[in-house]
Parts: sequence; structure tokens; C-alpha cells
Amino acid sequence: MTWINSALRAVFDAALAPFSGLPEMAGLTLVSLICAIGMLWVFKRTSNQNALAAVKSRIHAGLFEIRLFNDNLPAIFRAQTQILKANAKYLWHSLPPLLWIIVPFVFIVAQLQFHYGYRGLQPGDSVLLTVRLSEDADALTVEGKPRAALELPAGLEAEAGPVWAPALREMSWRIGAREPGDYSPVITFEGDRLEKSVRVVDEITRLSPHRVAKGFVAELVYPAEAPFDSEQGIESVEISYPDREVNFFGWRTHWMVAFFILTIVFAFLLRKPMGVTI
Amino acid sequence: MSRKTRIGKTSRRAALLTALILGIGLVACSENEPPEKQVIVLGFDGMDYLYTQRLMEEGRMPNFSRVAETGGFGPLATAVPPQSPVAWSNFITGMDSGGHGIFDFVHRDPDSMQPYMSTSRTEGEEKSLKVGKYKFPLVGAEFKLLRHGTPFWELLEEHGVESHIYRIPANYPPSGLASRELSGMGTPDILGTPGTFSFYTSDIFVNERQMSGGAIYALDFWENRAEGRLHGPENIYLRRRQTLSTDFTLHVDPEAPVAKLVVGDEERILAVGEWSDWVPIEFEMIPTQTLPAMGRFYLRSLKPEVELYVSPLQVDPMNPAFPISTPPSFAEELARRTGRFYTQGMPEDTKTLTGDVFTREEFLAQAKITGDEILKQYEHVLDDFDAGLLFYYFGNLDLICHMMFRATDPAHPAYDPERDPEYLKIVEGIYEAFDKIVGYTLDNMPENAKLIVMSDHGFSSWRRAFHLNNWLIENDYMVLKNPAKVGGTNIYSNVDWSRTRAYGLGLNGLFINVADRESNGIVPASERDALIAEISEKLLAEIDPQTGEPAVTKMYKLEDTYSGEYLGLGPDLQVGYNKGTRCSFESAIGDLTDEVISDNHSEWSGDHCMDHTKVPGILLTTDELARPAKSLKELGGSVLAEFGIDWTETATGG
Repeated sequence: MTWINSALRAVFDAALAPFSGLPEMAGLTLVSLICAIGMLWVFKRTSNQNALAAVKSRIHAGLFEIRLFNDNLPAIFRAQTQILKANAKYLWHSLPPLLWIIVPFVFIVAQLQFHYGYRGLQPGDSVLLTVRLSEDADALTVEGKPRAALELPAGLEAEAGPVWAPALREMSWRIGAREPGDYSPVITFEGDRLEKSVRVVDEITRLSPHRVAKGFVAELVYPAEAPFDSEQGIESVEISYPDREVNFFGWRTHWMVAFFILTIVFAFLLRKPMGVTI
Repeated sequence: MSRKTRIGKTSRRAALLTALILGIGLVACSENEPPEKQVIVLGFDGMDYLYTQRLMEEGRMPNFSRVAETGGFGPLATAVPPQSPVAWSNFITGMDSGGHGIFDFVHRDPDSMQPYMSTSRTEGEEKSLKVGKYKFPLVGAEFKLLRHGTPFWELLEEHGVESHIYRIPANYPPSGLASRELSGMGTPDILGTPGTFSFYTSDIFVNERQMSGGAIYALDFWENRAEGRLHGPENIYLRRRQTLSTDFTLHVDPEAPVAKLVVGDEERILAVGEWSDWVPIEFEMIPTQTLPAMGRFYLRSLKPEVELYVSPLQVDPMNPAFPISTPPSFAEELARRTGRFYTQGMPEDTKTLTGDVFTREEFLAQAKITGDEILKQYEHVLDDFDAGLLFYYFGNLDLICHMMFRATDPAHPAYDPERDPEYLKIVEGIYEAFDKIVGYTLDNMPENAKLIVMSDHGFSSWRRAFHLNNWLIENDYMVLKNPAKVGGTNIYSNVDWSRTRAYGLGLNGLFINVADRESNGIVPASERDALIAEISEKLLAEIDPQTGEPAVTKMYKLEDTYSGEYLGLGPDLQVGYNKGTRCSFESAIGDLTDEVISDNHSEWSGDHCMDHTKVPGILLTTDELARPAKSLKELGGSVLAEFGIDWTETATGG
């Protein structure tokens, strides 16, 4: 998982770098277009196109039948039954391409989330930096506050804390962003040193709200930063970046809403030029 | 080349040529057009004429002096009574209370004999669809502005002049008639009250209780963790009455004076003595519906007891539950630019100080937060302003003076010669701060804009509290069911209405218990005038035994003072108390004490609800006004006159 994430980070960072200073929709539109093309290509290669076309014809025939024989109740029921059966077949024939598509989509969405889901810190912002200890670190903490320290580079400033919350197994600091830049504060915990990326940046770039310990699920969900060795007794280090909303034709919404709408629109527009039945 | 293509090219050429000609024409026209008029009105609530004049003479308000030299500075007559909602309504409509229908902060319902907020009302829709334990309102709640009359900005807009009206009192919900509005005084908190804070403590000896403007709650505290509950309004989706609530947790560090606050998905770290920023809060009403709100948290102490103050929960401008702006999206737009802000009408939490929850320093820290927010927004809106009218209201001075004014008056009964002199700097400092606002405006406003600085009333030290209802009892106008029971009773619950001829309600109001008007009225309408004359004469003759001065200097009879169609809402008499004397808090809400006049020992030591002639406001202008104004009622017309609009036809007082 680690090397896959590392490779994907490099690819997405490079691909989205030209759009970092532009409005969110610029990059998202291009990614949606590429995803739509890729999706159609996979659909064409992995689905039974003839069967899909036949099933769609049956659905259309049923709809026409309802319109033509709208005064004949038995005919309408027959047509509706035919449509339902055809719909079930359509779903069945769509399943193989969906299974092919879903895996790369998970990776793409996970990468995009860390470019478009969060806003970089601005000078003057205050955020929490939280270290969550793993359950096996209890032995280190039951007697009181763990000996943890935070080293902040110039450009970031400790405003309050740390607070040790035993019930949450969390140590938190409030840090203030002072100057734009990419920073790597260091947390020293029981002799170990751990870095966490913090970005004070105006443009769209990859942001990592969570740095997690090595582990398949954790890395799948939080691929934006290289994991650390889980033997340190730390489960994750978190920065509470603010959420970002994108301006989708004047509607401020989550990037994923805009992304899925655009991908579907592009897929419908390109299905005929690419000769794909969906 | 086909005919179609030729026509297309010809059409394009023709369009380009037309555009060029029109463009040149527009440029030519614009050179001859007069520049658009710009007027900025700054409303400084409670800025006193005499106090300002003295500080100007001492050279401590240089920007005021600079404006006064080129323009004008003088007193501005306030309203009867000189209460903010009344005074601002006079300004807004050009009418007196009879015309706009606002006579006090509170009015009384003659049927139920209960008081209600005079400027706005929220009416829930009774029709609802009931499903199991839920009910689904078929129509949303209606928010009603009870101020009547035509606001001057309606005429501006009708004449094509954009108006931007920020935080003017007595304009909640916003009139919807200006280009931009943000509601101010009168805007409730999420509970629908003028502001109800919460104070949480782990002290097991403190009883949970409601108090004026707030409530005290116990915190469950164990293993470095304190858990509390934030209280919202009633859940409108439940058939059985139940208030909304949401939990919060305070994780207290075992060693350091610092804690982590967790409310829903929101987390904050607070050191002792620190305020949080705005924390968004959601109350779940039903699984698909939440009520958005927000609050600021202040960690007062962790040892020996955990003490946490939570501001009145506000309407969140990012997602307003009530209408607070015109257009409705404007509050969110402003919050996105300048950050979340207090939306409650009077955000300075004076009740924390009168209720001994905050020290004066803590109150001032909270007042500074509110003042800074409003100033930051002003800088943005001034920057955006290029034409039309900009009205911007500042309420900080009024509320700080209410709480600190005794520092200006060594004769005040609560004056502490050791501690109070340092607070004199606060009062004078806020006048100086407002002078800086004028300076900032002069430096940043459009070049030919006219600046008008005005206040709704002045200020005085409030030394003596007049218990009007006790005076009425002593003079046999009011009779109690149980004379031994006074104080802490429900409003009028102890009054024997069958023998009561007059009662006091509000800060200046005195009502006659008129038969067929009040639900338990006994005074025949034919005897009303004689009773008014008798009470007026006696009150004017009332001498404060401690000072030897009259307690009341003017009495205003309803129909002699006001005109208009809403006279029925007003009190039969408005009491004009002598400078230094004001109606007591108890009497204002219909409660009783055991004396008629007493020293005012409340932290609320300054006031203006006195004889209106003793507490005029100010009027400062960069140039002579196109139409001079001597009173608030005339000033709206003066603003219109700056744009060449005559208001005499619609405003009775114009």
C-alpha cells in the first residue's frame, strides 16, 4: 500500500501542479474529463455492449408501449414488467465494468480529497495539532501525562497546550500559522521523533490532515503522507485543516459533488463519439 | 462565398460598429454625468453631547474637532422616552411613537396583562402534520417586524439610490427594502431571547438556576473530564414540549491550566482565561434536520473548580436559522469575508456583570471582542462603498457606558474611590476610540462623500432608582392582594386588579387601568384624563428625600405627545425622570420592592431613560446639511434631502 500511495501522490502532484493557482474547477474539470474517458473505455472493454444495447432497446420499447397503449391497463402492466426485467438485466450487465472501475476510482477519489477537500492554512489561522496514541501505548500514559514535546519551525507558533486528554489518548497543541510555507514540525515522544507536514499556503495543493501509522486500512484512507513506523506507540498525528468548498457555477459545494456531476455529464457527452453503450 | 456567410459577416460588422458607437457615446455621456452622491452615516449609540463637547475641548477627540471646524457639531434632540428602540425608530421613520408604534423596549398586552418585546415577534404556524411523536409544521415560522412606517431608505431605493443599512436598531427582521441590511438591536439569540448566556461550574454547592440573562449549570466532572449540555430552543418537530440540547466535553489536562473542548466535530484548546473563536454547534431536531447555532466559550478557571462561560448561542451567519440580512445570503457573504460574528442585537453581555458571573475586566474583554468584530466589518463595508448611502451602527459605547459610567461620577452611591478611577479611562477611552473611527472614515471614504455622525441619546450617571409601582401603591393607585409579599413575584401576580387604577411597565411607561381596555380595567374612560392629571401632578411634586431634588421633571401624556395610528400601544403617561434618577429594574418588569426611591448599587450605573431634554445625542457633519435637523425625527429627512428627496409627505414629523 505504501508504495502505491507514494506513486499515486507523485502522479497526482505532477498532474495537478499546473492548476494549483487556478480556481478549483479548472483542475477538477480536467480530472473529470479524463475519468469520464477512462470510465467509458473500461466500460467498452469489459461490458457486453451488444447485450446492453439490446436491453436498452427493450426498455425503450416498454416506454413506447406505455405511451401508445395508455388506455389498455393489461398492456401497461405487461410493459412495466418488461421494463423492470430489462432494468435488472441492465444492472447485471453493468456490474463487470463497475467492478473494474470502482477500484481505480477509490484511489483517485482518495488522492483528490487531499487536493480539493481541505484548504491550506492562512497566516493568522489557528489549528489543533493532535497526536493520538495507540492502545498499546497505555502503559506509557496511565501514570500521567506522556512526555511529549513539539518543535515548531519559524513560521508556526505554539499558542496553547499541550493538553493531555487521557480518555481520548490524545495530546493536542494549538498552533498558529504566521508565515506562508511548507513546514515539518517535530513531535518528540518518549525519545522518538516524528515529523508532520503542515502547509500554510493559498493555492491548491496536497494537504495531509492525518499522518498515520503503517497499516493497510489506515493508509488506504489517508494516503496523502508517508506513514510512520507503528512501533512508536502513536496511532496518528492530525492537523485540523479547514474544509474547502468549490464554486460550482455559483453553488458552493463539496468537490466530490462537482466531480461526480461533471464526470457523468462528460460520460454522456462522449459515449457516442467513443462508440460506447452505457 | 455563400449568401448566408456574407450576411453573417455583415451582421457582425454592423454589431461591432454599433457597439463602438454606443461605447463612445457612453464614455461621452459619463464625462458629463455628475458624480454619484455618497453619504455615510455613523450611528454611535449613547454618545452624550456634553461629554463629547468636553473631551473635544480638552483636545482628546481631534477628529471630531476637525470635522466640527469645517462642518457642524451640536446636540440632537432625542425621543420621548429616550430609549434606543424608540429613538432609532424616530430616525428611521421620521415619526414619533404614535406613528411607528414603538413606545418602549416592552409593550403590554391589555388582554393578558403580560409584557412582550416591542419591536419584533415570531409567530409559529399552528397547522402541522402529526406523525407519531413528531409534528411537521406545514408553514414555516413568521418573523414580524413590529415597527411601522416607511423607513427612509425605502424612498432612497425608490429613487434609485442604493442604501446599505448595517445593524440599525429596531430593524429585526430586516425590512428587506434596502440593497444591503444586517439586523442589529432586537435580533434575538437562538433561544429567541435578547441574550441568554450559560455558565457551567463543577462546584457542587452551586445550585443550577436561571437568572436574568443567563443560567448556571452543574458540570459532571471525573477523571480529568467535564461533561455538560448546551441548551437550545424548543424542538418544533416534537409533539411533546422538549428543548433541544447537545453535549460537550472538556478534557482537562492533569498538570497544566489548559483544556480541550469537544463539541460535536469541533475541537478547541483553551488556556485558563482564554476565549474561543466561534464554535459552530448543531442541535439535532429530527434525524434529517438540525438547527445551526454558534457560541464562544470562555474558560474561566480549572482549579479549584472548573468554570466555563458559554456566550448566548447565536444565529450562525454562515447558515442563519432566522432572517438577519438583506439579501438573505448577505450574512453568509460577510461572514466568509470577515469571519463569523455576533449576530445577537446587543452582544455586550452586561448580564454577566450585573449577575456577578464576570468581573469588570472579563466583561470588558467580552465587549472588546464584540467591538473588534464590528469594527473589522466596518472597514470592509467602507472599503466596498462607492455610491448611495452607507449607515453603520456602533453599540459598544452605549453598553460599556451603562456598566462603567459610575467611574465618571464620584457622587454615585456605588462609587469606589480606590478602584473606580481606573475605569474612568475606559469611558473616556471609548470616546477616543470612536473619534478614531471618525478619523479612519475621513481617511478612507470616497473623496466627495458627506459624513454624518449621530447618536440616538446622551448619557447620565444613574444614582437613584425610582420604584414606580411602589410609588403607585404608596399613593393608593395600586393595591396588592397580599401586602406582605413583595419582590421576586411573577409580573403582577400579587396585584389586585379590581382595586388598581394605575400600573407601571417598561422603563418610562405608566398605564391607567382603563375599563373595557385592560382585561381587568376599573377606571371609566371618562375619568382617565382626570386621573392622568392627578398622577402627573403628584409625581412632579415627588421630592427625593436624599437629594432634595424632584425625582421627576416632566410627564408626557400619550395624546399630547404623540400622533399617529398606533397610540393604543403606548402607555398613558411617559415619566420623565430627573437626571440621575431612573425607573428601577424591578418596577420596569412589574415587580415590587419595599421602598419608593433607593440608591442604585447595580453594576448598571449609567443610563439615559430620563427626561429626554436632559440627555440629548450628538450631530456632527462634514458639511452643512441640505436640510438641517435638530432632532432624530428630522434627521432621516435630512439624509433624504442630501439626495434631493423630499420626505414631508410620508413622515408626519419630517
